[in-house]
Amino acid sequence: MSGEVRVYGGWRDDLGLKVIPTRRLARDVYEVFIGPQHPGSGHMRIIIRVDGDVIVEADPDIGYVHRTMEKLGEIRGWIKPIPLFERMAIHDACNITLPYVRAVEKLMGVEAPLRAKYLRVLLCEINRIAAHLYGFAIFGVFLGHSTMYMWAMGDREVFIQLAEELTGARLTHSYPIPGGVRRDIPQGFPDMARRAVKYMRKRLEEYRKIFLDNPVIRSRLEDVGVIPKRLAAELGIVGPNARGSGIQYDVRIIEPYEVYDELDFEVPVYTEGDALARTYVRVEEIRQSLRIIEQVVEWLEKKPREPIVDESIYKKYPPLHKKILESQGRAKLLPWMATMKVPAGRAIGRGETGRGEIIYYVESDGGMNPYRVRIVTPSARNAIAFKYALPGHRVMDLPAIYGSLDYFPPEADR
Amino acid sequence: MAPRIGLKSLEKRRTLIDGVRSNLHVLAIGVKYFVNPRRMTLVYPKEYPRLSEGYRGFIILEKKKCISCAACARICPSAAMKMIRVMEPDPKHPEKPRMKQYPVINYQRCIFCGYCVDVCPTEALYHVNYHDVVYDNLAEMFWDLDTFQKEPEYKTALEGRPVRIMVHEELGLIKVPVGEGG
Ligand code: SF4
Ligand code: SF4
Repeated sequence: MSGEVRVYGGWRDDLGLKVIPTRRLARDVYEVFIGPQHPGSGHMRIIIRVDGDVIVEADPDIGYVHRTMEKLGEIRGWIKPIPLFERMAIHDACNITLPYVRAVEKLMGVEAPLRAKYLRVLLCEINRIAAHLYGFAIFGVFLGHSTMYMWAMGDREVFIQLAEELTGARLTHSYPIPGGVRRDIPQGFPDMARRAVKYMRKRLEEYRKIFLDNPVIRSRLEDVGVIPKRLAAELGIVGPNARGSGIQYDVRIIEPYEVYDELDFEVPVYTEGDALARTYVRVEEIRQSLRIIEQVVEWLEKKPREPIVDESIYKKYPPLHKKILESQGRAKLLPWMATMKVPAGRAIGRGETGRGEIIYYVESDGGMNPYRVRIVTPSARNAIAFKYALPGHRVMDLPAIYGSLDYFPPEADR
Repeated sequence: MAPRIGLKSLEKRRTLIDGVRSNLHVLAIGVKYFVNPRRMTLVYPKEYPRLSEGYRGFIILEKKKCISCAACARICPSAAMKMIRVMEPDPKHPEKPRMKQYPVINYQRCIFCGYCVDVCPTEALYHVNYHDVVYDNLAEMFWDLDTFQKEPEYKTALEGRPVRIMVHEELGLIKVPVGEGG
Protein backbone atom coordinates (compact mmCIF):
# COMPACT_ATOMS: atom_id res chain seq x y z
CA MET A 1 0.00 0.00 0.00
CA SER A 2 1.15 3.48 -0.68
CA GLY A 3 0.52 4.56 2.83
CA GLU A 4 -2.53 6.52 1.84
CA VAL A 5 -6.12 5.60 2.39
CA ARG A 6 -8.83 7.26 0.38
CA VAL A 7 -11.52 8.46 2.71
CA TYR A 8 -13.55 11.52 3.34
CA GLY A 9 -11.93 14.10 5.55
CA GLY A 10 -8.34 15.22 5.48
CA TRP A 11 -7.17 17.11 2.43
CA ARG A 12 -7.39 16.59 -1.34
CA ASP A 13 -4.80 14.81 -3.40
CA ASP A 14 -4.08 15.57 -7.05
CA LEU A 15 -7.08 13.50 -8.20
CA GLY A 16 -9.32 15.61 -6.07
CA LEU A 17 -9.94 12.81 -3.61
CA LYS A 18 -9.56 13.31 0.03
CA VAL A 19 -6.70 11.54 1.73
CA ILE A 20 -5.53 11.00 5.22
CA PRO A 21 -1.90 10.00 5.30
CA THR A 22 -1.35 6.83 7.22
CA ARG A 23 1.74 5.06 8.32
CA ARG A 24 2.33 1.38 8.45
CA LEU A 25 3.61 0.00 11.64
CA ALA A 26 6.42 -2.45 11.59
CA ARG A 27 5.36 -6.05 11.67
CA ASP A 28 4.45 -7.43 15.06
CA VAL A 29 4.22 -4.04 16.65
CA TYR A 30 0.97 -3.30 18.37
CA GLU A 31 -0.30 0.10 19.23
CA VAL A 32 -1.84 0.33 22.68
CA PHE A 33 -3.72 3.33 23.96
CA ILE A 34 -3.32 3.93 27.66
CA GLY A 35 -6.01 6.38 28.64
CA PRO A 36 -7.48 8.87 28.15
CA GLN A 37 -9.91 7.81 30.86
CA HIS A 38 -7.90 8.77 33.84
CA PRO A 39 -4.85 6.57 33.65
CA GLY A 40 -3.53 8.35 36.68
CA SER A 41 -4.27 11.69 38.15
CA GLY A 42 -6.21 13.18 35.27
CA HIS A 43 -7.14 12.64 31.68
CA MET A 44 -4.29 12.04 29.32
CA ARG A 45 -3.31 9.35 26.92
CA ILE A 46 -0.08 7.58 26.30
CA ILE A 47 0.12 5.86 22.97
CA ILE A 48 2.63 3.07 23.21
CA ARG A 49 3.81 0.67 20.56
CA VAL A 50 4.77 -2.67 21.90
CA ASP A 51 6.80 -5.45 20.45
CA GLY A 52 5.65 -8.42 22.44
CA ASP A 53 5.69 -6.98 25.92
CA VAL A 54 8.38 -4.39 25.36
CA ILE A 55 7.56 -0.78 24.63
CA VAL A 56 9.38 0.38 21.52
CA GLU A 57 7.82 3.80 21.17
CA ALA A 58 5.75 6.02 23.40
CA ASP A 59 3.87 9.20 22.68
CA PRO A 60 2.31 11.24 25.43
CA ASP A 61 -0.93 12.61 24.03
CA ILE A 62 -1.97 15.60 26.03
CA GLY A 63 -4.76 18.15 25.86
CA TYR A 64 -7.75 16.34 27.29
CA VAL A 65 -8.20 18.77 30.14
CA HIS A 66 -7.33 21.96 28.35
CA ARG A 67 -9.37 24.77 29.83
CA THR A 68 -7.88 27.85 28.13
CA MET A 69 -6.45 29.17 31.34
CA GLU A 70 -4.30 31.69 29.54
CA LYS A 71 -7.18 33.10 27.55
CA LEU A 72 -9.52 33.17 30.53
CA GLY A 73 -6.82 34.98 32.43
CA GLU A 74 -7.10 37.84 29.99
CA ILE A 75 -10.72 38.69 30.57
CA ARG A 76 -11.28 38.92 34.28
CA GLY A 77 -9.19 41.61 35.78
CA TRP A 78 -6.10 41.17 37.87
CA ILE A 79 -7.27 39.57 41.04
CA LYS A 80 -9.95 37.21 39.78
CA PRO A 81 -7.56 34.94 37.89
CA ILE A 82 -6.09 33.81 41.21
CA PRO A 83 -8.94 31.39 42.02
CA LEU A 84 -8.90 30.39 38.37
CA PHE A 85 -5.20 29.51 38.14
CA GLU A 86 -5.54 27.53 41.33
CA ARG A 87 -7.57 25.04 39.40
CA MET A 88 -4.58 24.01 37.37
CA ALA A 89 -3.19 22.04 40.30
CA ILE A 90 -5.82 22.15 42.91
CA HIS A 91 -3.82 20.42 45.62
CA ASP A 92 -0.87 22.72 45.11
CA ALA A 93 -2.90 25.90 45.09
CA CYS A 94 -0.61 28.35 46.81
CA ASN A 95 2.51 27.28 44.95
CA ILE A 96 0.82 27.56 41.63
CA THR A 97 -0.71 31.00 42.12
CA LEU A 98 2.08 32.66 44.03
CA PRO A 99 4.30 33.38 40.98
CA TYR A 100 1.36 35.05 39.24
CA VAL A 101 0.71 37.18 42.27
CA ARG A 102 4.38 38.08 42.44
CA ALA A 103 4.43 39.06 38.78
CA VAL A 104 1.42 41.33 39.33
CA GLU A 105 3.10 42.76 42.40
CA LYS A 106 6.15 43.63 40.32
CA LEU A 107 3.96 45.51 37.86
CA MET A 108 2.03 47.29 40.59
CA GLY A 109 5.16 48.14 42.51
CA VAL A 110 3.92 46.71 45.78
CA GLU A 111 5.63 44.17 47.95
CA ALA A 112 4.31 41.85 50.58
CA PRO A 113 5.50 42.67 54.08
CA LEU A 114 7.84 40.26 55.78
CA ARG A 115 5.15 38.56 57.80
CA ALA A 116 3.06 37.94 54.71
CA LYS A 117 6.09 36.44 53.01
CA TYR A 118 6.54 34.00 55.84
CA LEU A 119 2.85 33.13 55.69
CA ARG A 120 3.11 32.48 51.97
CA VAL A 121 6.07 30.21 52.47
CA LEU A 122 4.17 28.40 55.19
CA LEU A 123 1.24 27.62 52.94
CA CYS A 124 3.52 26.81 50.01
CA GLU A 125 5.30 24.16 52.03
CA ILE A 126 2.06 22.75 53.42
CA ASN A 127 0.89 22.50 49.82
CA ARG A 128 4.13 20.93 48.68
CA ILE A 129 3.80 18.17 51.26
CA ALA A 130 0.17 17.61 50.37
CA ALA A 131 1.03 17.50 46.67
CA HIS A 132 3.80 14.98 47.20
CA LEU A 133 1.58 12.83 49.36
CA TYR A 134 -1.07 12.92 46.69
CA GLY A 135 1.57 11.85 44.20
CA PHE A 136 2.60 9.03 46.49
CA ALA A 137 -0.93 7.85 46.85
CA ILE A 138 -1.40 7.62 43.11
CA PHE A 139 2.00 6.05 42.75
CA GLY A 140 1.20 3.46 45.38
CA VAL A 141 -2.01 2.37 43.78
CA PHE A 142 -0.30 2.25 40.37
CA LEU A 143 2.10 -0.27 41.79
CA GLY A 144 -0.70 -2.25 43.38
CA HIS A 145 0.36 -1.12 46.82
CA SER A 146 -2.99 0.07 48.06
CA THR A 147 -1.73 0.49 51.63
CA MET A 148 0.43 3.34 50.43
CA TYR A 149 -2.56 4.86 48.71
CA MET A 150 -4.63 4.82 51.88
CA TRP A 151 -1.83 6.03 54.09
CA ALA A 152 -0.70 8.85 51.89
CA MET A 153 -4.23 10.07 51.24
CA GLY A 154 -4.97 9.86 54.94
CA ASP A 155 -1.86 11.74 55.95
CA ARG A 156 -2.43 14.33 53.29
CA GLU A 157 -5.62 15.11 55.15
CA VAL A 158 -3.52 16.32 58.10
CA PHE A 159 -1.96 18.98 55.93
CA ILE A 160 -5.22 19.86 54.32
CA GLN A 161 -6.54 20.39 57.82
CA LEU A 162 -3.63 22.73 58.52
CA ALA A 163 -4.31 24.66 55.35
CA GLU A 164 -7.99 24.85 56.23
CA GLU A 165 -7.24 26.31 59.66
CA LEU A 166 -4.99 28.86 58.04
CA THR A 167 -7.03 29.90 55.05
CA GLY A 168 -10.60 28.76 55.60
CA ALA A 169 -10.72 26.40 52.65
CA ARG A 170 -9.47 22.90 52.19
CA LEU A 171 -7.94 23.17 48.75
CA THR A 172 -8.93 26.34 46.97
CA HIS A 173 -7.24 28.70 49.35
CA SER A 174 -6.94 31.77 47.06
CA TYR A 175 -4.50 32.83 49.72
CA PRO A 176 -1.94 35.21 48.26
CA ILE A 177 -3.23 38.48 46.85
CA PRO A 178 -1.14 41.23 45.27
CA GLY A 179 0.48 42.98 48.21
CA GLY A 180 0.11 40.31 50.85
CA VAL A 181 -1.98 37.44 52.03
CA ARG A 182 -5.56 37.17 53.21
CA ARG A 183 -5.30 35.67 56.65
CA ASP A 184 -2.91 35.62 59.54
CA ILE A 185 -2.40 32.44 61.54
CA PRO A 186 -5.28 31.65 63.88
CA GLN A 187 -4.92 30.95 67.58
CA GLY A 188 -3.27 27.68 68.35
CA PHE A 189 -2.02 27.18 64.82
CA PRO A 190 1.71 26.92 65.66
CA ASP A 191 1.14 24.05 68.06
CA MET A 192 -1.09 22.30 65.61
CA ALA A 193 1.54 22.66 62.90
CA ARG A 194 4.24 21.33 65.23
CA ARG A 195 2.14 18.31 66.07
CA ALA A 196 1.56 17.66 62.39
CA VAL A 197 5.29 17.93 61.69
CA LYS A 198 6.15 15.47 64.46
CA TYR A 199 3.49 13.10 63.25
CA MET A 200 4.64 13.24 59.66
CA ARG A 201 8.26 12.62 60.60
CA LYS A 202 7.25 9.39 62.29
CA ARG A 203 5.10 8.44 59.37
CA LEU A 204 7.91 8.94 56.90
CA GLU A 205 9.87 6.35 58.84
CA GLU A 206 6.98 3.94 58.39
CA TYR A 207 6.64 4.86 54.74
CA ARG A 208 10.27 3.92 54.32
CA LYS A 209 9.68 0.54 55.84
CA ILE A 210 6.50 -0.37 54.08
CA PHE A 211 7.04 1.26 50.73
CA LEU A 212 10.49 2.54 49.89
CA ASP A 213 12.47 -0.32 51.36
CA ASN A 214 9.88 -2.88 50.45
CA PRO A 215 11.77 -5.38 48.27
CA VAL A 216 8.85 -5.64 45.86
CA ILE A 217 8.64 -1.91 45.35
CA ARG A 218 12.39 -1.58 45.13
CA SER A 219 12.70 -4.15 42.43
CA ARG A 220 9.94 -2.47 40.48
CA LEU A 221 11.59 0.93 40.67
CA GLU A 222 15.31 0.37 40.66
CA ASP A 223 16.89 1.10 37.27
CA VAL A 224 13.44 1.61 35.80
CA GLY A 225 12.70 4.64 33.65
CA VAL A 226 16.19 6.04 33.83
CA ILE A 227 16.54 9.59 32.55
CA PRO A 228 20.24 10.39 32.33
CA LYS A 229 21.35 13.82 33.44
CA ARG A 230 22.20 15.00 29.96
CA LEU A 231 18.86 13.92 28.53
CA ALA A 232 16.99 15.53 31.41
CA ALA A 233 18.78 18.78 30.70
CA GLU A 234 18.12 18.58 26.97
CA LEU A 235 14.44 17.89 27.46
CA GLY A 236 14.12 20.68 29.97
CA ILE A 237 12.66 18.50 32.68
CA VAL A 238 12.08 20.33 35.94
CA GLY A 239 11.35 19.71 39.56
CA PRO A 240 11.91 16.48 41.46
CA ASN A 241 12.28 14.64 38.16
CA ALA A 242 15.28 16.74 37.20
CA ARG A 243 16.69 16.56 40.70
CA GLY A 244 16.36 12.79 40.57
CA SER A 245 18.65 12.88 37.55
CA GLY A 246 21.35 14.86 39.27
CA ILE A 247 20.44 18.33 38.03
CA GLN A 248 20.93 20.86 40.77
CA TYR A 249 18.05 23.11 39.93
CA ASP A 250 15.44 24.52 42.22
CA VAL A 251 13.99 27.99 41.92
CA ARG A 252 14.07 28.31 45.68
CA ILE A 253 17.86 28.20 45.41
CA ILE A 254 18.79 29.77 42.12
CA GLU A 255 16.43 32.68 42.52
CA PRO A 256 15.12 32.65 46.07
CA TYR A 257 11.75 34.27 46.35
CA GLU A 258 9.80 35.32 49.42
CA VAL A 259 11.92 34.31 52.41
CA TYR A 260 13.42 31.10 51.15
CA ASP A 261 16.93 32.53 51.39
CA GLU A 262 16.51 33.09 55.12
CA LEU A 263 15.48 29.55 55.87
CA ASP A 264 17.65 26.59 56.57
CA PHE A 265 16.84 23.66 54.34
CA GLU A 266 18.35 21.37 51.80
CA VAL A 267 17.28 20.62 48.28
CA PRO A 268 17.88 16.93 47.78
CA VAL A 269 19.50 15.84 44.55
CA TYR A 270 19.97 12.23 43.57
CA THR A 271 22.12 11.22 40.65
CA GLU A 272 20.70 7.86 39.64
CA GLY A 273 17.88 9.19 37.50
CA ASP A 274 15.64 6.15 37.92
CA ALA A 275 12.15 5.91 39.32
CA LEU A 276 13.47 5.12 42.77
CA ALA A 277 15.66 8.23 42.81
CA ARG A 278 12.70 10.41 41.85
CA THR A 279 10.69 8.86 44.63
CA TYR A 280 13.46 9.48 47.14
CA VAL A 281 13.69 13.12 46.07
CA ARG A 282 10.05 13.54 47.00
CA VAL A 283 10.43 11.84 50.35
CA GLU A 284 13.43 14.02 51.17
CA GLU A 285 11.51 17.08 50.06
CA ILE A 286 8.70 16.28 52.42
CA ARG A 287 11.26 16.03 55.18
CA GLN A 288 12.77 19.40 54.25
CA SER A 289 9.35 21.02 53.97
CA LEU A 290 8.62 19.86 57.49
CA ARG A 291 11.79 21.62 58.60
CA ILE A 292 10.72 24.78 56.82
CA ILE A 293 7.28 24.67 58.42
CA GLU A 294 8.89 24.41 61.85
CA GLN A 295 11.12 27.39 61.23
CA VAL A 296 8.38 29.52 59.73
CA VAL A 297 5.92 28.74 62.49
CA GLU A 298 8.56 29.58 65.07
CA TRP A 299 9.18 32.93 63.39
CA LEU A 300 5.50 33.73 63.07
CA GLU A 301 4.95 32.96 66.72
CA LYS A 302 7.89 34.96 68.00
CA LYS A 303 7.46 38.10 65.95
CA PRO A 304 4.72 40.53 66.86
CA ARG A 305 1.79 40.65 64.47
CA GLU A 306 2.03 43.29 61.80
CA PRO A 307 -0.14 44.14 58.83
CA ILE A 308 -0.06 41.34 56.30
CA VAL A 309 -0.64 43.61 53.33
CA ASP A 310 1.63 46.14 51.70
CA GLU A 311 2.02 49.55 53.32
CA SER A 312 0.41 51.32 50.35
CA ILE A 313 -2.69 49.16 50.71
CA TYR A 314 -2.75 49.28 54.49
CA LYS A 315 -2.66 53.09 54.36
CA LYS A 316 -5.97 53.07 52.52
CA TYR A 317 -7.66 50.79 55.02
CA PRO A 318 -10.60 52.41 56.81
CA PRO A 319 -10.70 51.92 60.59
CA LEU A 320 -13.13 49.00 60.33
CA HIS A 321 -10.71 47.07 58.14
CA LYS A 322 -7.85 47.72 60.51
CA LYS A 323 -9.94 46.50 63.39
CA ILE A 324 -10.82 43.29 61.59
CA LEU A 325 -7.21 42.67 60.69
CA GLU A 326 -6.26 43.09 64.31
CA SER A 327 -9.07 41.09 65.87
CA GLN A 328 -9.62 38.33 63.32
CA GLY A 329 -6.36 38.41 61.38
CA ARG A 330 -8.32 38.79 58.18
CA ALA A 331 -6.92 41.18 55.60
CA LYS A 332 -9.84 42.75 53.78
CA LEU A 333 -9.73 43.53 50.11
CA LEU A 334 -10.42 47.01 48.94
CA PRO A 335 -13.26 47.61 46.48
CA TRP A 336 -10.96 49.13 43.83
CA MET A 337 -9.07 45.86 43.60
CA ALA A 338 -11.90 44.32 41.57
CA THR A 339 -11.40 46.78 38.75
CA MET A 340 -7.91 48.04 39.37
CA LYS A 341 -5.62 49.08 36.60
CA VAL A 342 -2.06 47.89 36.60
CA PRO A 343 0.70 50.03 35.08
CA ALA A 344 1.85 48.91 31.65
CA GLY A 345 4.81 46.61 31.63
CA ARG A 346 5.99 43.06 31.58
CA ALA A 347 6.88 40.84 34.42
CA ILE A 348 7.99 37.30 34.95
CA GLY A 349 7.04 35.34 38.00
CA ARG A 350 8.67 32.04 38.73
CA GLY A 351 8.38 29.66 41.58
CA GLU A 352 8.96 26.08 42.58
CA THR A 353 5.79 24.08 42.87
CA GLY A 354 5.60 20.52 44.09
CA ARG A 355 6.23 19.31 40.55
CA GLY A 356 8.84 21.80 39.48
CA GLU A 357 9.31 25.26 38.16
CA ILE A 358 6.34 27.30 37.07
CA ILE A 359 6.72 30.47 35.05
CA TYR A 360 4.20 33.21 34.47
CA TYR A 361 4.81 35.90 31.93
CA VAL A 362 2.38 38.71 32.61
CA GLU A 363 2.02 41.67 30.33
CA SER A 364 -0.07 44.70 31.07
CA ASP A 365 -1.10 47.43 28.69
CA GLY A 366 -2.20 49.59 31.56
CA GLY A 367 -5.75 48.35 31.45
CA MET A 368 -8.13 46.54 33.72
CA ASN A 369 -7.24 43.12 32.33
CA PRO A 370 -3.90 41.46 31.76
CA TYR A 371 -2.90 41.84 28.13
CA ARG A 372 -1.30 38.43 28.18
CA VAL A 373 -0.69 35.76 30.77
CA ARG A 374 1.60 33.05 29.56
CA ILE A 375 1.84 30.07 31.85
CA VAL A 376 4.43 27.35 31.64
CA THR A 377 3.66 24.68 34.15
CA PRO A 378 6.07 22.03 35.35
CA SER A 379 3.93 19.13 34.16
CA ALA A 380 3.84 20.63 30.68
CA ARG A 381 7.60 20.44 30.65
CA ASN A 382 7.74 16.98 32.16
CA ALA A 383 5.24 15.38 29.77
CA ILE A 384 7.94 14.82 27.16
CA ALA A 385 9.80 12.56 29.57
CA PHE A 386 7.33 9.78 28.80
CA LYS A 387 8.62 9.60 25.26
CA TYR A 388 12.14 8.91 26.40
CA ALA A 389 11.72 7.10 29.68
CA LEU A 390 9.30 4.44 28.51
CA PRO A 391 10.87 2.73 25.49
CA GLY A 392 12.80 -0.38 26.34
CA HIS A 393 10.65 -1.24 29.33
CA ARG A 394 7.93 -3.75 29.67
CA VAL A 395 4.32 -2.63 29.76
CA MET A 396 4.13 -3.45 33.46
CA ASP A 397 6.75 -0.76 34.07
CA LEU A 398 4.54 1.92 32.59
CA PRO A 399 2.57 2.59 35.78
CA ALA A 400 5.81 2.69 37.75
CA ILE A 401 7.29 5.27 35.42
CA TYR A 402 4.09 7.28 35.13
CA GLY A 403 3.77 7.38 38.89
CA SER A 404 7.39 8.25 39.46
CA LEU A 405 7.17 11.20 37.06
CA ASP A 406 4.23 12.49 39.11
CA TYR A 407 2.64 13.89 36.00
CA PHE A 408 -0.53 15.88 36.56
CA PRO A 409 -2.56 16.42 33.37
CA PRO A 410 -4.80 19.31 34.49
CA GLU A 411 -1.69 21.28 35.27
CA ALA A 412 0.02 20.43 32.00
CA ASP A 413 -2.95 21.14 29.77
CA ARG A 414 -3.89 24.39 31.55
CA MET B 1 21.32 30.01 57.26
CA ALA B 2 20.58 29.48 53.65
CA PRO B 3 19.12 26.82 51.45
CA ARG B 4 21.61 24.55 49.83
CA ILE B 5 21.81 21.56 47.57
CA GLY B 6 22.13 18.24 49.31
CA LEU B 7 23.73 15.69 47.02
CA LYS B 8 22.67 12.21 47.95
CA SER B 9 22.78 8.79 46.48
CA LEU B 10 20.70 5.70 46.83
CA GLU B 11 21.81 2.61 48.63
CA LYS B 12 23.30 0.10 46.30
CA ARG B 13 21.47 -3.00 45.28
CA ARG B 14 21.34 -5.06 48.37
CA THR B 15 21.98 -8.59 49.40
CA LEU B 16 19.43 -11.27 49.93
CA ILE B 17 19.74 -10.87 53.70
CA ASP B 18 18.79 -7.20 53.41
CA GLY B 19 15.84 -8.17 51.28
CA VAL B 20 14.64 -10.66 53.83
CA ARG B 21 15.11 -8.14 56.61
CA SER B 22 13.10 -5.45 54.82
CA ASN B 23 10.44 -7.98 54.03
CA LEU B 24 10.19 -8.73 57.73
CA HIS B 25 9.94 -4.99 58.42
CA VAL B 26 7.06 -4.74 56.02
CA LEU B 27 5.31 -7.66 57.64
CA ALA B 28 5.98 -6.32 61.12
CA ILE B 29 4.41 -3.01 60.27
CA GLY B 30 1.50 -4.76 58.63
CA VAL B 31 0.94 -6.83 61.76
CA LYS B 32 1.31 -3.77 63.96
CA TYR B 33 -1.54 -2.02 62.22
CA PHE B 34 -3.55 -5.20 61.93
CA VAL B 35 -3.47 -5.73 65.68
CA ASN B 36 -3.73 -2.08 66.57
CA PRO B 37 -5.53 -0.36 63.73
CA ARG B 38 -5.52 3.36 63.73
CA ARG B 39 -8.65 4.51 62.11
CA MET B 40 -10.35 7.82 61.99
CA THR B 41 -13.75 7.37 60.52
CA LEU B 42 -16.18 10.18 60.55
CA VAL B 43 -19.58 8.55 60.70
CA TYR B 44 -21.24 11.22 58.63
CA PRO B 45 -24.03 12.27 59.07
CA LYS B 46 -24.28 10.78 62.56
CA GLU B 47 -21.21 12.82 63.32
CA TYR B 48 -20.25 15.92 61.50
CA PRO B 49 -17.17 18.08 61.75
CA ARG B 50 -17.53 21.35 63.55
CA LEU B 51 -15.43 23.54 61.32
CA SER B 52 -13.34 26.40 62.57
CA GLU B 53 -14.71 29.91 62.84
CA GLY B 54 -12.67 31.12 59.89
CA TYR B 55 -14.12 28.48 57.58
CA ARG B 56 -15.40 29.83 54.30
CA GLY B 57 -18.84 28.32 54.12
CA PHE B 58 -22.15 29.70 52.91
CA ILE B 59 -22.40 33.45 52.66
CA ILE B 60 -25.14 35.42 54.33
CA LEU B 61 -26.13 39.04 53.87
CA GLU B 62 -26.92 41.41 56.68
CA LYS B 63 -29.14 43.71 54.71
CA LYS B 64 -29.19 46.65 57.06
CA LYS B 65 -25.42 47.00 56.91
CA CYS B 66 -25.35 46.94 53.12
CA ILE B 67 -24.63 50.26 51.45
CA SER B 68 -25.31 48.99 47.91
CA CYS B 69 -21.80 49.62 46.72
CA ALA B 70 -21.77 46.53 44.44
CA ALA B 71 -18.14 45.78 45.27
CA CYS B 72 -19.07 42.19 46.08
CA ALA B 73 -20.70 41.64 42.71
CA ARG B 74 -17.79 43.24 40.91
CA ILE B 75 -15.09 41.14 42.54
CA CYS B 76 -16.88 37.81 42.27
CA PRO B 77 -14.66 35.68 40.02
CA SER B 78 -17.44 33.34 38.97
CA ALA B 79 -20.20 35.92 38.59
CA ALA B 80 -22.21 34.20 41.30
CA MET B 81 -23.17 37.40 42.98
CA LYS B 82 -25.39 39.87 41.20
CA MET B 83 -27.03 43.11 42.22
CA ILE B 84 -30.80 43.44 42.01
CA ARG B 85 -32.96 46.50 42.41
CA VAL B 86 -35.74 46.49 44.97
CA MET B 87 -38.25 49.10 46.02
CA GLU B 88 -38.33 49.69 49.72
CA PRO B 89 -39.64 52.36 52.06
CA ASP B 90 -37.24 55.20 52.61
CA PRO B 91 -36.59 55.67 56.34
CA LYS B 92 -36.52 59.44 55.87
CA HIS B 93 -39.66 59.78 53.79
CA PRO B 94 -41.85 56.82 54.76
CA GLU B 95 -44.50 57.77 52.25
CA LYS B 96 -42.14 57.60 49.28
CA PRO B 97 -40.60 54.25 48.39
CA ARG B 98 -37.06 54.33 47.06
CA MET B 99 -35.05 52.13 44.77
CA LYS B 100 -32.13 50.31 46.29
CA GLN B 101 -29.64 47.71 45.12
CA TYR B 102 -28.80 44.58 47.00
CA PRO B 103 -26.70 41.57 46.13
CA VAL B 104 -28.19 38.14 45.59
CA ILE B 105 -26.24 34.97 45.10
CA ASN B 106 -26.38 31.96 42.86
CA TYR B 107 -24.93 28.98 44.68
CA GLN B 108 -24.68 27.03 41.48
CA ARG B 109 -21.77 29.21 40.57
CA CYS B 110 -20.19 30.22 43.85
CA ILE B 111 -16.76 28.75 44.44
CA PHE B 112 -16.51 29.91 48.06
CA CYS B 113 -13.46 32.00 47.43
CA GLY B 114 -14.61 34.50 50.01
CA TYR B 115 -13.58 37.53 47.99
CA CYS B 116 -17.02 39.07 48.37
CA VAL B 117 -16.89 38.78 52.15
CA ASP B 118 -13.41 40.22 52.25
CA VAL B 119 -14.20 43.09 49.91
CA CYS B 120 -17.42 44.26 51.53
CA PRO B 121 -16.56 47.62 53.10
CA THR B 122 -19.17 47.36 55.84
CA GLU B 123 -18.92 43.66 56.72
CA ALA B 124 -22.46 43.17 55.50
CA LEU B 125 -21.57 39.67 54.31
CA TYR B 126 -20.32 36.86 56.47
CA HIS B 127 -19.54 33.17 56.18
CA VAL B 128 -21.25 30.51 58.21
CA ASN B 129 -18.95 27.64 59.08
CA TYR B 130 -20.71 24.87 57.23
CA HIS B 131 -21.46 24.12 53.67
CA ASP B 132 -23.01 20.69 53.53
CA VAL B 133 -26.46 21.91 52.61
CA VAL B 134 -28.51 19.93 50.13
CA TYR B 135 -31.03 21.20 47.61
CA ASP B 136 -33.81 19.39 45.89
CA ASN B 137 -33.28 21.14 42.63
CA LEU B 138 -30.99 23.63 41.01
CA ALA B 139 -33.53 26.43 41.09
CA GLU B 140 -33.36 26.52 44.86
CA MET B 141 -29.74 27.39 44.65
CA PHE B 142 -30.62 30.82 43.33
CA TRP B 143 -31.08 32.73 46.51
CA ASP B 144 -33.38 35.69 46.47
CA LEU B 145 -32.98 38.59 48.80
CA ASP B 146 -35.00 37.03 51.62
CA THR B 147 -33.20 33.70 51.52
CA PHE B 148 -29.88 35.48 51.36
CA GLN B 149 -30.49 37.04 54.74
CA LYS B 150 -31.23 33.81 56.55
CA GLU B 151 -28.64 31.24 57.41
CA PRO B 152 -29.64 28.03 55.61
CA GLU B 153 -31.00 25.36 57.85
CA TYR B 154 -28.15 23.08 58.84
CA LYS B 155 -30.00 19.79 58.69
CA THR B 156 -26.94 17.72 59.54
CA ALA B 157 -26.78 19.41 62.91
CA LEU B 158 -30.32 18.31 63.75
CA GLU B 159 -29.42 14.65 63.77
CA GLY B 160 -25.67 14.46 64.02
CA ARG B 161 -23.25 15.05 66.82
CA PRO B 162 -20.58 17.66 66.21
CA VAL B 163 -16.98 16.56 66.49
CA ARG B 164 -13.90 18.65 66.20
CA ILE B 165 -11.13 17.37 63.97
CA MET B 166 -7.72 17.88 65.51
CA VAL B 167 -4.16 16.95 64.74
CA HIS B 168 -2.54 14.55 67.14
CA GLU B 169 1.17 14.01 67.40
CA GLU B 170 0.93 10.22 67.38
CA LEU B 171 -2.33 9.49 65.68
CA GLY B 172 -2.60 12.10 62.99
CA LEU B 173 -6.14 13.33 62.67
CA ILE B 174 -8.42 12.61 65.58
CA LYS B 175 -12.00 13.52 66.33
CA VAL B 176 -13.01 14.98 69.65
CA PRO B 177 -16.70 15.28 70.50
CA VAL B 178 -17.80 18.84 71.02
CA GLY B 179 -19.64 19.43 74.27
CA GLU B 180 -22.94 21.27 74.35
CA GLY B 181 -22.40 24.86 73.35
CA GLY B 182 -18.69 24.17 72.88
S1 SF4 C 1 -17.46 33.46 47.60
FE1 SF4 C 1 -16.43 34.04 45.70
S2 SF4 C 1 -17.60 33.01 44.10
FE2 SF4 C 1 -18.90 33.00 45.93
S3 SF4 C 1 -20.16 34.82 45.72
FE3 SF4 C 1 -18.36 35.38 46.94
S4 SF4 C 1 -16.91 36.22 45.46
FE4 SF4 C 1 -18.46 35.06 44.31
S1 SF4 D 1 -20.01 44.85 49.11
FE1 SF4 D 1 -21.20 44.77 51.00
S2 SF4 D 1 -22.08 46.82 51.17
FE2 SF4 D 1 -21.38 46.61 49.05
S3 SF4 D 1 -23.19 45.87 47.96
FE3 SF4 D 1 -22.02 44.05 48.57
S4 SF4 D 1 -22.96 43.46 50.52
FE4 SF4 D 1 -23.61 45.55 50.12
